[in-house]
Amino acid sequence: MSDVVLAFDTATAATVVGLTGPGIYDPIVRRDDPRPGERPRHAQQLLVLATDALEQAGLRLAHVDRVVVGTGPGSFTGLRIGLATARALALAAEAELVGVSTLRVLAVAAEKGVGRDTVVTPVLDARRGEVFVAAWRAGQLVVLPRAVAPDRVGEIAREGGVGRRRLWLAVGDGAIRFREVLEPLGLSVPSDQSPLHRVDPLVLCRLGAEGEPAERTSVVPEYLRLPDAEMAFLNRPES
Amino acid sequence: MSGVILAIETSCDDTCAAVVDHEGRILSNVISSQSIHDRYGGVVPEIAARHHLELVDVAVEDALAQADVGLEDVSLVGVTQGPGLVGALLIGLSEAKAIAAARDLPLAPVDHLQGHVAANFLAPDPFEPPFVCLIASGGHTLIAHVTGRDAFRVLGSTLDDAAGEAFDKGARMLGLGYPGGPALQRLAEGGDPDAHRFPTADGVAGLDFSFAGVKTALLYALRDRPDSDRADLAASYQHAIVEQLAVRTERALRETGLERLAVGGGVAANGPLRARLTGIGVETHIPPHALCTDNAAMIASAARYATPLLPAAYLGLDAYASGERGL
Ligand SMILES: [Zn+2]
Repeated sequence: MSDVVLAFDTATAATVVGLTGPGIYDPIVRRDDPRPGERPRHAQQLLVLATDALEQAGLRLAHVDRVVVGTGPGSFTGLRIGLATARALALAAEAELVGVSTLRVLAVAAEKGVGRDTVVTPVLDARRGEVFVAAWRAGQLVVLPRAVAPDRVGEIAREGGVGRRRLWLAVGDGAIRFREVLEPLGLSVPSDQSPLHRVDPLVLCRLGAEGEPAERTSVVPEYLRLPDAEMAFLNRPES
Repeated sequence: MSGVILAIETSCDDTCAAVVDHEGRILSNVISSQSIHDRYGGVVPEIAARHHLELVDVAVEDALAQADVGLEDVSLVGVTQGPGLVGALLIGLSEAKAIAAARDLPLAPVDHLQGHVAANFLAPDPFEPPFVCLIASGGHTLIAHVTGRDAFRVLGSTLDDAAGEAFDKGARMLGLGYPGGPALQRLAEGGDPDAHRFPTADGVAGLDFSFAGVKTALLYALRDRPDSDRADLAASYQHAIVEQLAVRTERALRETGLERLAVGGGVAANGPLRARLTGIGVETHIPPHALCTDNAAMIASAARYATPLLPAAYLGLDAYASGERGL
């Protein structure tokens, strides 16, 4: 891989940036992790961290050959800041654009060092008492991403063919938040401090470097949930 | 100054991009309206933000193409920073910051209301300050003393609904669709504006506005006199809103001693309001309709007189929902 790849993710509360490229021996990482209860700082941090990482490598945004962006699911506003920024950079820097599922980034990071039988289940806090969840086994997607109540993650696992003897690993901010719900269902949740709960910009860089560049406007957020007003409209009595 | 100004505006439900040159000539003015909101009876912030993301790239590319320029011709990027729906503003702001940063261009963050004022400075018919400016739309209603091309002072603003909102709510009460302004105006054409005496917020001192009273009055009229002619109700309701706007405008002209008036915002399209304001007898400037409603050409016009920021100063810029940004 000889291109300058700038990758970032704003699906979770964190703002995460990674940079790889020719002459960059150690990939450059920048991240801003708000403390619990603090508001995300995607708008304030994303371009600041990205240009700071580039500056360390003696580069500018105009030098970026490929922009990689986490497409969520996650915070709607965070995703849109990331996607709007990524698309505009691709347009203005004439760079390629690749979208990568944020759940997959978490899964790929967690798959390292676990057996082939382990089911890796990234769980992101979707607010309003729900989580965004999907599951992978041996690199294969076995449960499609969706938004559910945390106590329904058990049913989803059965759907994904999770048997009694398989280890079942849950990672992500939703796994931490709903540990008390998930552990009794048989999910193993690493300690709150584990880096597996956070989006790893290097995994994002790698998946993005491997991915196929897409048409700019086809790289869209994975919302997984309709806006409330649309739900209400679809569920209105007369329809 | 060479090059052109590229501007983006996404503060509400219209996705707008425009290219304006440094003499204030409009080279393109793209407005993608999100008609999807009609069925919800108002703008839904989450839906607006989703649509902005889908449309903003295309709007920018269309604006450049229609102006027959490329990004290499752009020397300044302007963008609405606030006030408005934050989730919507952030789409345009993220897009503008990234474009400007990738091209190493200065960026001018623009206050949306300054944008409405600056619509008056666009060629071919610029209107020179000082003047009194009435801005009335579905999102805001205020009256300002414009002292220069980059400065205005708010003399009064609405204490509750915006004038356009009052039109929409009245239209809904009368069983008309959303957006209701034009429908209400059509219904009113066949009615008698003096059939009902609806309040014009005479109790509100100074130059502030309030449309709660006229709304309640229409509600009571519909409830207590259900047989009233609907065209009369529409005409009287419209008349009360127009009078309130016009009376404050006259007062502002008197207080400032100015004899120059500019009007902006979507409500400026209202026929009876235009007639009433031009009847005041001062020099009156009403930009073409496409420049009165939300658009990006007016943001480019404001950017033209703003102090542009260098990347280090704008990379971390956030949007703001309300208030003014030290104008
Ligand atoms: Zn406006």
